[in-house]
Amino acid sequence: MNLPPHIVSPGKKRPAHGDRTPVYALVGNPNCGKSTLFNALTGLKQKVGNYPGVTVEKRIGETYSQHGKPIKLIDLPGAYSLAARSPDEAVTRDVLLGRRADTPQPDRILCIVDATNLERNLYLVHQILDLGRPVILVLNMMDLAKKAGLHVRVTRLEQELGIPIIACEAVNGRGLVELKLAMSRADLPLARHRWDVPVAVAPAVAELQASLTDSDARSPLVARAEALLLLTDFDTVRVAGSTPLSWRTTGILETWQKRWDGEGTDWAGSLVNSRYEAINRLCTGLVQQDGTAGPSTSDRIDAVVVHPLWGWLVLGSVMTALFLSIFTFAEIPMNWIAAHVALLATWMKGAMAPGDLRDLLADGAIAGVGSVLVFLPQILILFFFVGLLESTGYMARAAFIMDRLMSRVGLNGKSFIPLLSSYACAIPGIMATRTIEDPKDRLVTILVAPLMSCSARLPVYLVLIAALLPGDAVPMLTEVGIMLLMYALGTLGAFGFAWLFKRTLLKGAPPMMILELPPYRLPRLRDVVLQMLERASLFLKRAGTIILGISIVLWFLTTYPKHPDPAATATQQIAHSFAGRAGHLLEPTIKPLGFDWRIGIGLITSFAAREVFVSSMGVVFGVEESNEKNTTPLREALRKAAWPDGAPVFTALVCLTLMIYYVFAMQCMSTVAVVKRETNTWRWPLFQIAYMTGSAWLVCFVVYQTGRALGY
Amino acid sequence: MPTTAPHLSPLCELPVGATARVCELKGDENFCQRVREMGFGEAALVTKVSGSTTSLCQVNGTRIALSHDAAMNILVERLPDSAR
Repeated sequence: MNLPPHIVSPGKKRPAHGDRTPVYALVGNPNCGKSTLFNALTGLKQKVGNYPGVTVEKRIGETYSQHGKPIKLIDLPGAYSLAARSPDEAVTRDVLLGRRADTPQPDRILCIVDATNLERNLYLVHQILDLGRPVILVLNMMDLAKKAGLHVRVTRLEQELGIPIIACEAVNGRGLVELKLAMSRADLPLARHRWDVPVAVAPAVAELQASLTDSDARSPLVARAEALLLLTDFDTVRVAGSTPLSWRTTGILETWQKRWDGEGTDWAGSLVNSRYEAINRLCTGLVQQDGTAGPSTSDRIDAVVVHPLWGWLVLGSVMTALFLSIFTFAEIPMNWIAAHVALLATWMKGAMAPGDLRDLLADGAIAGVGSVLVFLPQILILFFFVGLLESTGYMARAAFIMDRLMSRVGLNGKSFIPLLSSYACAIPGIMATRTIEDPKDRLVTILVAPLMSCSARLPVYLVLIAALLPGDAVPMLTEVGIMLLMYALGTLGAFGFAWLFKRTLLKGAPPMMILELPPYRLPRLRDVVLQMLERASLFLKRAGTIILGISIVLWFLTTYPKHPDPAATATQQIAHSFAGRAGHLLEPTIKPLGFDWRIGIGLITSFAAREVFVSSMGVVFGVEESNEKNTTPLREALRKAAWPDGAPVFTALVCLTLMIYYVFAMQCMSTVAVVKRETNTWRWPLFQIAYMTGSAWLVCFVVYQTGRALGY
Repeated sequence: MPTTAPHLSPLCELPVGATARVCELKGDENFCQRVREMGFGEAALVTKVSGSTTSLCQVNGTRIALSHDAAMNILVERLPDSAR
């Protein structure tokens, strides 16, 4: 992104805008509608949900002022306070304080507040006003406030604070013109509002402020805001972010903290309380309530949805509906895609002269990518459901219901949201762990998230179920039953390992969850569909790059070196090829699980991504696509595959063992890369590969050998 | 550890439908700070909506879910039903 080079030290005078593009930051509490407003202003397709923590990384977009001049917008993760308690809140704090080298420090700040809960939302605004930057306050969700019988006196608040205040309904686009007009102003006033820190804390604030100005090169106003933050946060390293504090500031902070500890006074608590007192004074007479509001629609829905008994039934029905629709609605588009991929491969074979290039394109590229593309409809349905649950507000309720169960394994309900997203894909799931405050809980969630059966495992399960069951038509119920068994196994595995890690490696205090449940909203189909399409395009990109690349490399590795005898069969050719040799090398370690060297090739190549297993098997067994149901030719080929002594390779037991292997094994390069980024070390992704693949081998060994001993 | 006044009880023990005033926060300092910052600090009025292990509460028009251990650390004074 081509951002203007204006990362100025906050100590300098704010530069005049001139021709430079002004940068606005959007901040606010979780779920107050920042992302919806960001979308409305920029038109950018960005993920919007109705549960806290949808935006876990900043997003940058562009809009235009009333005069047609560009304005940069940074959408920041929701935060309750600048004293960050979780990694996503730390992103917000660091961008606002100008600590992120990769992001320009915003010139101006758009504070979004939920008009239905003004006092709580004003806490963050109050901290932001301390930063001494021009602020525009957006009172969002005015429609919901009206419905709840709340009347906010906007003009009065504007007079009190001395900054522009815009009443807005971002969902309906109301107030956007006024907001753009305010954003286009060249001269935004600074806030008039001042508050006094408690007298006993004032000397500490003054001393820290002076040290931060002199030794840490902060501007006086930012230094005051940061001094207040340091005094309300006990983890100074986290507060200081990437830039460590000077020894002088650290020394002063320690001296004051020791002194207060000795006195037994909780000054951090009184700082929060005195801020709230200032806000209360500000809010007196600001909001009027019409009569006594009865139970809201959300209250009435919650009476059922979070009920100790009905709540579980609702959650169970939602999950069942989710999985059933993945398997039923997807079938028609899947068959359509499979048929067209096959048509393309046949056309290619007819149009080109026989030779390696033709085989490369038809058997390598088209067959490989096609076998993965087939699963696009299922992935779309999965993301559609996840999007729907997020945007209605149900996701936070699911976390509430699951908290009791999660606490049994030492985690809390907040870990449920990342784990549920991991059913779609572990990558957004791992990103969503940023909302978890406790670093150990977050790490445990990251470590077990890839055990939840993601959509990339679906192709593998479907092919193996088809190979496992006799007859051409796989009964729907059996298919769903086995599939649910695999999902249950992965989920149990995730919970089991979480329990183990919380008791051994990552022992910690009992989980403390505090989670806001947003009011229910009608899902905005546009947002859900946009999010689904974004995911789909990521999947297609992967199919077009990684999977296409691997399919071509794999075709090469199975085709060369050529067998000396030109009349050699396909099986002889593969045995002679590079891939065959690698598979043979691996065979001794996987033979106790019932896998032969050809399955070994699939295990190696699908380390890139699990769904590659299907295309690899397609290439290894030389399957040509046909117009029939997509899994049929591959299933036939798998059934025919035999050991040198003629015994079939893909017995029911081997298919089951192989599915279990894919439940547990860490077979996804993209996940490894994300875990490395999120934990900032190679230690945890390597540990994850070792424990997941190790346990996969162990479980498969037990299952296969027990099955053999029982005569299967 | 300061002793707890006898009329205070943990939030998790508050019956569903009852309203109480938050009087004391115990335990981890980071947790206490966050609870205060979310408007759940001393003197806040809280109504229990649901839950025995995980509590669901209404504070200042917001619904907040608290795990059992979190609710154990929030000591409240129950208000008579007539005061609601």
